[in-house]
Amino acid sequence: MMMAKTGTDIQIAICGSAGDGTIASGDIMKRAAAAMGFNVIAFDVYPPEIRGFGKCISRIRISTKQTYSLKQESDVLISLNDGHAIPHVGEVRDFGAVIYDDSLGSQVAEGGHISAHISPAQIPYGFGVRQISELATNSARSRNIVVLGYAAGLFNLPSDGFHEIIRSKFATKAQIVIDSNIKAFDAGLQVGQAVFKLDDVEVGSDSKETNGAEAVMMTGNGAVARGFMEAGIESYFGYPITPATSIMERLAVDMPPTGGKFLQTEDEISAIAATIGAGFTGSRAATATSGPGLALMAEMVGLGVMAEVPVVIAVSQRGGPSTGLPTKTEQSDLNLAVFGGSGDAQRIVLAPTNVEGCYRCAGMAFDIAETYQTPVILLIDLYLSNRYETVIPAKENTFAPKPRKKVSVKKGEAFKRFEMTENFISPRAVPGEAGLMHTATGLEHNELGRPNDAVHMDMSIKRHEKLKSAVHFPGLNVSKRFGDKGPVDVGILGWGSTFGEILETMYQAQAEGISCSAMKVVMLSPLPLQSLQEFFADCREILVPELNYEGQFANLICGALEKPVTRLSRATGTPMEVQEILAEVRRLSGQDPAQIQIAGAEGAQT
Amino acid sequence: MNKRVKPVYLEDKLEEIRADGHQEYRSKSLPTWCPGCGYFSMAEGLTFALKRLGIDYKDVVVVSGIGCASRFPFFVNTYGFHTLHGRVLPVATGVKIGNDDLTVVAVGGDGDAFAIGGGHIPHAARRNVNLTYLVFDNGIYGLTKGQTSPTSALGFKTSSTPYENGDVPLNPLMMLLSYGASWVGQAYAGHQHHLADMITQAMSHQGFSFLRILSPCVTFDKTNNTYSNLNMRVRDLPEDHDSSNVLAAMAEASRNDHPALGLYFKEDRPTLGQVMDATIQRSLSSHGDKGPGQTKAK
Repeated sequence: MMMAKTGTDIQIAICGSAGDGTIASGDIMKRAAAAMGFNVIAFDVYPPEIRGFGKCISRIRISTKQTYSLKQESDVLISLNDGHAIPHVGEVRDFGAVIYDDSLGSQVAEGGHISAHISPAQIPYGFGVRQISELATNSARSRNIVVLGYAAGLFNLPSDGFHEIIRSKFATKAQIVIDSNIKAFDAGLQVGQAVFKLDDVEVGSDSKETNGAEAVMMTGNGAVARGFMEAGIESYFGYPITPATSIMERLAVDMPPTGGKFLQTEDEISAIAATIGAGFTGSRAATATSGPGLALMAEMVGLGVMAEVPVVIAVSQRGGPSTGLPTKTEQSDLNLAVFGGSGDAQRIVLAPTNVEGCYRCAGMAFDIAETYQTPVILLIDLYLSNRYETVIPAKENTFAPKPRKKVSVKKGEAFKRFEMTENFISPRAVPGEAGLMHTATGLEHNELGRPNDAVHMDMSIKRHEKLKSAVHFPGLNVSKRFGDKGPVDVGILGWGSTFGEILETMYQAQAEGISCSAMKVVMLSPLPLQSLQEFFADCREILVPELNYEGQFANLICGALEKPVTRLSRATGTPMEVQEILAEVRRLSGQDPAQIQIAGAEGAQT
Repeated sequence: MNKRVKPVYLEDKLEEIRADGHQEYRSKSLPTWCPGCGYFSMAEGLTFALKRLGIDYKDVVVVSGIGCASRFPFFVNTYGFHTLHGRVLPVATGVKIGNDDLTVVAVGGDGDAFAIGGGHIPHAARRNVNLTYLVFDNGIYGLTKGQTSPTSALGFKTSSTPYENGDVPLNPLMMLLSYGASWVGQAYAGHQHHLADMITQAMSHQGFSFLRILSPCVTFDKTNNTYSNLNMRVRDLPEDHDSSNVLAAMAEASRNDHPALGLYFKEDRPTLGQVMDATIQRSLSSHGDKGPGQTKAK
């Protein structure tokens, strides 16, 4: 057993071509690391095609401390395809390792082999990946597992954990598949254990210091599905769309054993329509989609607002507009989520910033939707959907449904489903309850639900005012400030998946002596105006980094508060880089640049 | 010699109607349809069927889209959901899945059903959602004041086809038969008792029942689907029609010029609710792949 080494924080990048098993080997690595008790953050980048030689990269950050995002530099790069991996050699830090295949294959063009690109400061670990794979399993297809074994050997990771994960990953396959994968792993492990090691890249199992027994590793999408399950979801309707599909696939497995009704519909319109139909009957109903699907759903969201039907819509954004960048991340559906549809149709929009947030927001979304009788949109993005983090789920399920308040009317009186009450939230009845019959409609209607144009102003007030108290919903952090308290030079304001990078930036900036703090906004509609005002009052400069071209969140904030902010809006399909935000924070802090150690600060877009 | 006709007094007629009891199903809202509209027969027919089947108001949800026919939920004293144009079937599917104990009636016109909502019909039909879909087909858009619809006849002049409609009309019965609807029938607003009987039959069916109801638009169609034209055109299905034979049903349905009234096709197969219950049972007995996503840490 290896000695625990505290302070481990290592990032491994595995790069290959679609079909090489890159993502699969990354998956085994992160699950094994999580099982050993590390904090894991992992994110895969892959092309929209299933095969066809596109580039796949799996990046896994394994740490004994709490981390918020991936690191900009990796400690280890594993190449399964040199053509794809060569551009990434530069992301390996000095004294970092590059693991690659040095077996003599077919003729390699000059500069085509990765070994020619490794800098003198990096440590090359070449070995005969293909030969070992063929020796162990009679096939070159196990190369991804061989390199995994090699990496485990190099870092002295215990092999048992890996064996177990390999067994569970291939549990549905024939025994021979499991056996040959384990053989391939062991063959790689043997070679990896025998090579010269650097202290720098050695990690040990360090389970004592970490989260302990209850830690679970999941993706953002897995967390959304788990939150839905714990909230007692009863009906789900969905249509496949990257990157939201895995929410649907998870629920397809998990819902039926609890008696839940799951249906794959013919399109997104029918998915949200059926969700609203089920929500109308009092069933806990949800759907999940991405930006193009939400665009189709926009009209139905308006019906949900108008007819006051509680439903939950999880939306995982990808690059847009139109089909856009289906497998790349972006935060460009904020406008659509907050404003999409006809008329004044305010709804509740929650944007968690990490995987645990996905779990909590998904779990609470039904309660919020039922309390305010309106659609709740859970807005995440591909980077959050697909990234793995270790999460500690709540010990007790606090998301379970609470009994709905029974309503009654005096005999002979009609039930006022849309009654103007003090808090503008009306009594609600569902089909099957005697004496409370009513018709819900997308037409403007009076308190009884009958079509009526004359009450439009009053009813608009009702539909907007009832949401005001949502920012104080018990148990929900609609915004949170981190870092320095009181007045600061720079405040970084963020939302969604980008907030991980923002937090890392803020801690680095603080370490450099810059007075700064960061605030995340989780509820995008209605906005937590009071905390935003306080934050604005405290910060000399406000920086808003986000992953879109137009600066949609900055526009939203400026529309609400009418205060200038500095935008860092970028649409490249990849997560924001810490160095990029840090450069901007340094510039805004106004400190003498000579006194700050500048590492690769380029003129950032403002 | 003058032949004296016994006068019929409105009050007496209303008394007769009230005594029947099905009026209880009507709400206090008065219908917004034009006098003489075929949709009044539908309202009568549906309330009659609910009464005859003895279904409690509280257990009925009438779901509709947008259009003249879709105003119906406001006029019955049941639960109702007046939704979006063309989306009546997916919403009704959600209502039925949300609570399988409810009796769900989906209502719409020909534009709502076959134009904007056409994409949803095959899926509700093939899934055999246990609901009744009543389509009031008058071959014109009434609520937007007289434009052509997918079932408008060739050569029909409307406000959107001032130089004659050149699109071949759809044949809804053929569509539904090929989509796998488990109950397909046709009725006519001018034959009220038959219509009420067909609605009753459709609602008694376990599965997706589709009833097309031919109806005149007395305001915007003075030439085509008028009462007098339809009275001459409609016929009964042959007495020996075999309603278990889908090909025979299609042969009858193909005669669009002389639409036949009656039950075209009926088959018994598991409803969506039963299929879902079977899925739940299978999931409980299976220990197979639990899918990707979460790994329990040691």
